[in-house]
Amino acid sequence: MYKVILAIRYLVKRRITYFAVLAVALCVFIVVVVMTVMIGLVTGFTQKNHSFVGDCVVGTESLVGFPYYEDFADVLKQASFVEAVSPVIKSYVLVTPVGSEHNYGLEMMGIDSALHSMATGFGETLHHHKLDAAKAFAPAYDPNLTGFVVGIDRWLERDSNGRYDHSPSPTRAGLAVTCFPLTAKGALAKAGAGLANTKTFYFSDTSQSGLAKVDSSLIYLPFDEAQLLCMAGSVTRASAIHLKFKPNVRLQSGCEEVASLWRKFKQETAGQSQASLLENVTVQSWKDNRRAFIAPMEKEQTMLTVMFALVGLTTVFIIFVVFYMLISHKSKDIGILKSVGVSNANIMILFWGFALLVGLMGSAIGVLFGCSFLVYINDIEGWLFEHFRFQLWDRTIYAIDDIPNQVELRVVAVIVLSAIVACWVGALVPTWQATRLKPVETLQVSRL
Amino acid sequence: MGVLETFRGYVVSRAQKLIGPEMLKLFLWLRYLRKKKIVFLSIAAVALSTALLIVVASLFTGFINALERSAVETIGDVSLAAPIRFGKYPLFIERLKQTSAVEAATATLSAEGLLHLGEGKVRAVKVWGIEPARRAKVTDFERFLRKQGQFDEEPSFEVTGSMDMVGGFVGIGVVAEPNEKTDEYDGRVIEEMLGIQVVLTTGTVIEAQDSAGSGAGGLQFKRRVLGFTIVDIVETGVYDLDKRFVYLPIEALQRTLHPTEDDQFADQIQIKLADDVRTDVAVAEIWGVWQTFAAKELAWAPYLINQTTISTAKELQGRYIAELRKQMGVLLVIFGVVSFSVIVLIFCIFYMIVRLKQRDIAIMKSCGAASASVAWIFVGFGACIGVVGSGAGVVIGYAITGNINAIEDLIRIIFGLKLWKSSVYVFSEIPNEVDWVWALRIVLFAIIAAAIGTLIPALVAARTKPVEILRYE
Repeated sequence: MYKVILAIRYLVKRRITYFAVLAVALCVFIVVVVMTVMIGLVTGFTQKNHSFVGDCVVGTESLVGFPYYEDFADVLKQASFVEAVSPVIKSYVLVTPVGSEHNYGLEMMGIDSALHSMATGFGETLHHHKLDAAKAFAPAYDPNLTGFVVGIDRWLERDSNGRYDHSPSPTRAGLAVTCFPLTAKGALAKAGAGLANTKTFYFSDTSQSGLAKVDSSLIYLPFDEAQLLCMAGSVTRASAIHLKFKPNVRLQSGCEEVASLWRKFKQETAGQSQASLLENVTVQSWKDNRRAFIAPMEKEQTMLTVMFALVGLTTVFIIFVVFYMLISHKSKDIGILKSVGVSNANIMILFWGFALLVGLMGSAIGVLFGCSFLVYINDIEGWLFEHFRFQLWDRTIYAIDDIPNQVELRVVAVIVLSAIVACWVGALVPTWQATRLKPVETLQVSRL
Repeated sequence: MGVLETFRGYVVSRAQKLIGPEMLKLFLWLRYLRKKKIVFLSIAAVALSTALLIVVASLFTGFINALERSAVETIGDVSLAAPIRFGKYPLFIERLKQTSAVEAATATLSAEGLLHLGEGKVRAVKVWGIEPARRAKVTDFERFLRKQGQFDEEPSFEVTGSMDMVGGFVGIGVVAEPNEKTDEYDGRVIEEMLGIQVVLTTGTVIEAQDSAGSGAGGLQFKRRVLGFTIVDIVETGVYDLDKRFVYLPIEALQRTLHPTEDDQFADQIQIKLADDVRTDVAVAEIWGVWQTFAAKELAWAPYLINQTTISTAKELQGRYIAELRKQMGVLLVIFGVVSFSVIVLIFCIFYMIVRLKQRDIAIMKSCGAASASVAWIFVGFGACIGVVGSGAGVVIGYAITGNINAIEDLIRIIFGLKLWKSSVYVFSEIPNEVDWVWALRIVLFAIIAAAIGTLIPALVAARTKPVEILRYE
């Protein structure tokens, strides 16, 4: 009981400990705010990548693609753990707006909009066809025309609030799309021929995936049209098959099942004429498929954590100094405690309990202010933008909507725990010194 | 003589008054530093915060400088972009060179296309039709050529052993991907690409012929195909440029895009300014030459002339650089706020020293030291800690920033973690110049912060009453 009483007494009576609490609170406040925003950005980006590719991708990097994809798609559809399957053509196309002299290169995905919406979050990204993704390639102004869906940043500009000025219905606009038709051997199918492998498509919708690179460089075309444009040869080919697993299927086990099915399928088709193209096909979970994009953000998060840990070292120093002072001043208390039989272990527990109290109080204050700040962070940014034209991120450049402010309990718990550990580390040496104090020295009449 | 003596006496007495207390302060500072090892903690904290802030500021500034530098190295000092292609560009370049502001200029014709590099390898590329020799005078283009950059000769598209074949330069990222772990290109793969034939597909919009052949059938896209030999590889160190650009002779691109037209045309002019010319004056002069040329030689309407943009390389990057500067400011503020705890640390340490040294203070005051002098001992000592700590911080910051690429490589070797990739951060190397302007600001901030941390303890020291402290009982 005396440990609790003394710890509280030191906290209340020794004003210098307020500074230790203040330092811990400041550090916790900043870390809670920055890590919440950073984790929110990383989580949002990761989820958008997941939504973009579905759960699993069976595909090849080569633009030649792979044959017999329809047969394998049938195998997958029969699997109990698969909910949706969407074959995809991927290539590069040259795009020329009708009536314009300019052209530009884009990445192209040929999809069946209905299937792709079931396998991925494609349908959710559409503006005009959000409720009926199956008709994504049927322009509202003339459903008989062959439509295209384009990444939103290729079509519209973001305003300073990160919003796009959509027209009530899609406006008629044509794009001449030119593509290399490749044979199964990867050669140009029409090399030397003057004829253009070009077809005109009409604007049907925009897709806002929230991924800057995708929204600025991707055009979606109907699967059959894309296949005609890019894949020459008697046997039809696709670049990838995107899958969605049933709700209770674990990602890793689902991918392993798909890989197993693929190995079996490859063996069964080994004797076919273009079976060699199946060798380059890989089975990847969405995380592996998008690793190159997600990893840099995760690394930045790690680097920021390391930097905060370095700066947080100062807090450890403060705790050390405060405890050093406290123990210097309270050497008589310690002497008396030890002279009435309190063990060294109990002295340590007393000061570590005090460190815990400092850590808990500082963390509580820091978390309280941090959460309050996060609740209003978007309002504060809005006010700053209104009065000083200051935005944390220029929304016309970055594909970020609101500043993420969802506090995760797990993150807060880790931060609070780190703060308490920092307090204990800071208190370690002074506490050790306290246990080494000898009552016979500290309670000498000459030193009283 | 009498006046001189009086003056000397005055100087000596002032010096004694000044040196006396100064020496005392210095003596006490050194004594506290020697006796109170805890003071080193505050020095370490100041050094740590200073080093961190210097590294952050230097990396951001280095990145911004590298962006600006890469723009100048790629497109020269000033770029003129016309809304449509225009003819007679050699005449325009001649007129530009006659002005005092322009040292050299070169034309560029741009297009987009698809490059077929071999079996199944197709890349979307930006195509620049260029004049290699002239371009080398406007930009650092020659330096970026892996093969021809090693020699002093002018760069050329000439294909060895063939006068008829078209040669071209290709960005290193177009023909190869950097290694996933080391972020370096495989030299062997790149060497193999030299001399191979590739096919570029691009296109132009032409007036479609109607059934009567009158050309009134509207605009129609026509695919154009150009085969060329890769004669060199361009490695600028800027990922986006290396990944997307293909360079061809401007005449060959003209012939491919518009085979029926004889005139020489371009859509951009890149300009190198003469030394010691003010950029705004130079841009105004170029603008004047362009207006006259477009109106008289091209017979362009004023609205078309006004659609031309003449920008400095730095202006072209301005929006992104402003955003980067803002992010740097936000990050420095965040770390600055966290570094506020250094002030708290210094306060705690000094408060402790003042409490422990009350007798020293009381003795000084009883010997006649003013309260302000006593306070100044501690404020000055705090400032000294700021100086020493920030000095150490500068050294650490300099060492980290200067060796940042080696440190990053070490992390890769030890932990297998590649932190910097050109595909993510544009440049193949981390910019490693120390931003001395920001370093100076941070050092000053650190010294002031250290002095602020001592204010309350100094005040407590100044209010010490000798009569209470030095009482016998």
